[in-house]
Amino acid sequence: MNSFILQTFNGISYAALLFLLASGFTLTFGLMRIVNMAHGSYYLLGGYIGLVVAKTTGNFALALLAGGAAGALLGFVADKVLIKRTGEDHLAQVLITTGLAYVVGDLALKVWGGDAQKLPIPMIMRGVVELPFDIVYPIFRVFLTSVGIAVAVLLWILYRKTQIGAAIRAGVDDREMVSATGIHVDRLFIIVSALASFLAGFSGVLGGAFLTVYPGAEWEILVFALVVVIVGGLGSLEGAMIGALIVGLLDAYGRWLLPEMSYFVLFGPMAILLLFRPRGLFGTANMT
Amino acid sequence: MSTPALSLRAVTKNFGGLRAVSDVSLEVAPGERRVIIGPNGAGKTSLFHCISGVIQPSSGVIECFGEDITHLAEAQRTLKGVGRTFQISSVFVDLTVLENVALAMLGIQGAKWGMWSSVARMQHVRDKAEEELTRVGLTGKTDVMVKSLSYGERRQLELVLALVNSPRLLLLDEPCAGLSPAERQRLSAIIRDLPRTITMLMIEHDMDVALALADRVTVLNRGAMMLEGSAQEVRMNPQVREVYFGQV
Amino acid sequence: MNQTNRIALVLLLGLALLLPQMAGTYWVTLSTQMLIFGMLALSADLLLGHAGLFSLCHAAFFAVSAYTTAILQVRYGVSGAAAVPAGILAGTLLGTLFGLSVRTRGVYFILVTLAMGYIIWGVGYRWTALTGGDSGITNVPAPALGDLKVTNASQFYYLVLAVVVIVLIVYQRLVSSAFGLALRGIKTGEPRMRSLGFQPGAHLYTAFVISSFMASVAGVLYVYLNRFVNPVTASLHNNVEAVLMAIVGGSGTLLGPFIGAGLVLGLRNWVSTFFELHLVVMGLVFIAVVIWAPGGVVGLVRRLMSPAGKEGQS
Repeated sequence: MNSFILQTFNGISYAALLFLLASGFTLTFGLMRIVNMAHGSYYLLGGYIGLVVAKTTGNFALALLAGGAAGALLGFVADKVLIKRTGEDHLAQVLITTGLAYVVGDLALKVWGGDAQKLPIPMIMRGVVELPFDIVYPIFRVFLTSVGIAVAVLLWILYRKTQIGAAIRAGVDDREMVSATGIHVDRLFIIVSALASFLAGFSGVLGGAFLTVYPGAEWEILVFALVVVIVGGLGSLEGAMIGALIVGLLDAYGRWLLPEMSYFVLFGPMAILLLFRPRGLFGTANMT
Repeated sequence: MSTPALSLRAVTKNFGGLRAVSDVSLEVAPGERRVIIGPNGAGKTSLFHCISGVIQPSSGVIECFGEDITHLAEAQRTLKGVGRTFQISSVFVDLTVLENVALAMLGIQGAKWGMWSSVARMQHVRDKAEEELTRVGLTGKTDVMVKSLSYGERRQLELVLALVNSPRLLLLDEPCAGLSPAERQRLSAIIRDLPRTITMLMIEHDMDVALALADRVTVLNRGAMMLEGSAQEVRMNPQVREVYFGQV
Repeated sequence: MNQTNRIALVLLLGLALLLPQMAGTYWVTLSTQMLIFGMLALSADLLLGHAGLFSLCHAAFFAVSAYTTAILQVRYGVSGAAAVPAGILAGTLLGTLFGLSVRTRGVYFILVTLAMGYIIWGVGYRWTALTGGDSGITNVPAPALGDLKVTNASQFYYLVLAVVVIVLIVYQRLVSSAFGLALRGIKTGEPRMRSLGFQPGAHLYTAFVISSFMASVAGVLYVYLNRFVNPVTASLHNNVEAVLMAIVGGSGTLLGPFIGAGLVLGLRNWVSTFFELHLVVMGLVFIAVVIWAPGGVVGLVRRLMSPAGKEGQS
């Protein structure tokens, strides 16, 4: 029973990390119909920049901000210089953003080397804490989960309770209508895109402390984030939350119970879900 | 009384809370030219979608030459001899004119699974294509990419795609939409000259075209049938004038 | 096919035949690799260039056939004559299963195939008892049919070249046929195809299975070239590159995938001899292709060669 509870906590903390990355991806796809294979690169760059800042200043909060900013900056450049040119052409988007991901990944390898590096965390987070059911759990993971929940709540409030959120939801639902009502769609795009890439970079710092930063991390986490977004439904924030939880838990249980088939445990249901309900759990039916 | 070419009995289509087609019943005799008119949003295209199989009606029965086709898929209805043009041009722009016609011809044949013979070398396809294209006035464009055809030429091609397999029932959804008056005249003349072996159902906005071609006219309003009669009867009817002309 | 194309192909074939006489083992092996990956790219391009489906799982069939042949020969001592068809069959069977992905379109298709590709990679990586895990299967013997054995790189090159030529001939007929035209019709106007009497799903599924067969053939050749196979063969990277090679070379064309394979592999080999940033170069090439040459190399060549004023002719 203890193992089960432990794995559940593991799943939840991983879910928190996945949500931070997936929420941005789902909103950029939902609102702007952009498939961005470089979303993982924002995570990677954020992680490395956060690493540098954490090592030089010893300030974790600063590292988090720096990582987020790095992600946002890279995202901004990617949007303006590359993604803008592809219009609605998903094929071109995949191609151009994969190219960008290759460039960023390889440069990162050159600059920071091939070893996995752990991002230093503040002393207070380095210990363990006692949780119910006799579980002794790393404080950092609890912190990570709390951050994930906090961001989820904040995003949800933004999305459901503010005017901007209403505009975003309307845009996800029907983009042409939104521009017809006079809302500045371009500005909306910039805000959502910046938020998404900031969160990606930010999660890169957290991931760097949790899982280490290493070349190839951008692809591993991107694939997981994609599963989250597919299961939850492209364009749905709630879907990203539920999807992250499902993926995080399936991953933890899979690794624990069927380590040789763990990817199958995760991707199999996803593939089946996609075949019979492509819009995922919460996605709208008009996504193409 | 011979079997009607098309028979609709209490056909209704709901989209969530919206009733697009409401309890429509009609019969079209073989060889007849029936025109469907009605203001925007009257449900004409939705009705066509039900008949051609793009959507399934929520209730009601549709029969084609006595056969129940209500639940058949679109492709199956085509195999039974239903041909259709669309209001918004739906020809294949990235293919050549010949390839468009070839696809229309192959659609109802087992040969669509052929994996060895080159389509470009199929002489019978080319000959038939040229014959049909000449009939609508699109000569000399066989190997041209559709994207370089004018809109009027694309509408002509659209008609060819529907006609090439000699359908028993032809559904024309505003075939003259977006055409210049001269093109409109030419196309209506072609439609008028089609053989009576083809039963024709047409949606038209242009009253003159409609009334010149129609044997009988069905008027739809808000998804329901308002009136049915000869072209003259419909033209003179005061309710129709109010509903239809009042909107212009 | 017109005169210029025919002459160009004959010339290319001639060059290809003469290669081992003119260049050393390094180039012969590299060219063999280009031919094999070109075939993988071609298999993915049947779906992309003709049916409009962007598949990220074709390296899975490639890897499964490679692994099957390798495991049968190395672990069970099965002869090449049986292991080769078994490998191709295994990859194609997987294709019949993964072919269910054609129930989706557009982005969803990309994502389903991405997931499917990842599953196979995961199996290769995690199911150590079957696949040897990280280290994969090594010591695969040279390809042999009874007493006939391939003993050097040139012989293998000619074998692969022969297979590629045969595949290209059949592929060319396939894409010019009614079936190929139907795929392009589906790509460009699926709803219309339904109203013309086609069932797009059936055509797409068949195309998918055919493409998985092609990828499986390439996979078997691959395992004999390398004499080993490991999970990297089924990696996301390989899956992405299969499609990227086709695009860079010219999607929807006969030789585009091979040109793309040549370019990508050539770049990788050439660039990494003097500096380590070959992925940066590759990434820049992809970006450049999207911005300036969406038709790939073949598209560029065609544009350069066609006189202005012949617009509208196919």
